[in-house]
Amino acid sequence: MTTTTVDFASVFEIAQAVFAAMVDGDEGLLVPRDDVGAAIADPMVAWVNVHGPYPGRTALTTSSATAYTLVRALLDVPADTPMAQADIVDAFGEIANVVGGNVKSLLPGKGTLGLPHVGSSLPPTLDALVVVAPLAWRGEPLDIAVWFTQERGEEE
Amino acid sequence: MIRVLVVDDSRVMRQIVIRTLRQAGYDWEVREAGNGVEAMAAINDEEPDVVLSDWNMPEMSGMELLTTMRANGFETPFGFVTSEGSPQMREQAEAAGALFLIAKPFTPEGFREVIEPVLA
Repeated sequence: MTTTTVDFASVFEIAQAVFAAMVDGDEGLLVPRDDVGAAIADPMVAWVNVHGPYPGRTALTTSSATAYTLVRALLDVPADTPMAQADIVDAFGEIANVVGGNVKSLLPGKGTLGLPHVGSSLPPTLDALVVVAPLAWRGEPLDIAVWFTQERGEEE
Repeated sequence: MIRVLVVDDSRVMRQIVIRTLRQAGYDWEVREAGNGVEAMAAINDEEPDVVLSDWNMPEMSGMELLTTMRANGFETPFGFVTSEGSPQMREQAEAAGALFLIAKPFTPEGFREVIEPVLA
């Protein structure tokens, strides 16, 4: 059985790898943030749920302005080129999907990953918050939070 | 010219996969599908040289697409491009007849590494 190790270090490592490969080409642009607990203004949240023996969720929260910048960087779209809102939602959701999929890979069992969702706030979530990673991408706040229950009895 | 069918419910991710394929080299003729149902229709219309599919999609998942293809006699080389690359999923993919599984995030080098043997 795989050991369950979802902590700040593992989440940060995944996020850094995802951002470096998909967005920046450089691991140094996503870093830990000092002002832990500070609210993010005008938030945009993207999350994916995990169903199965370890039901859970991975969520990315940043400001809408930062999410737009992030998506433009991901798609290599210049700042002055208009983008469809559907593409912004799609792209931001995909970043959460990739981070969430890699977080799920840390867990044992045969759970399934849901489709990504994007909104201005999270729906009610599980009690078992495992880790919040307060990060900064290009100097702007970006939080990654992971929840999962530890009911290993149902593992296949 | 290598005819590839890129299947993903995210239009953005399809664009990223296509961009990465071009960065990986080769001369690609690309078609796109938003889920397994659309992909099956595209394959019936004209069988590609290789199918690159997301796993988790509405309507028909990548695994259902692969199973349907094989059930309908299509032995087209098939690879998953998915956000999760756990050992269990790799085993499942291989057992169903997929030739490879590329976990997101990916690089052009990663694509080249798994696709090269398929095209040889």
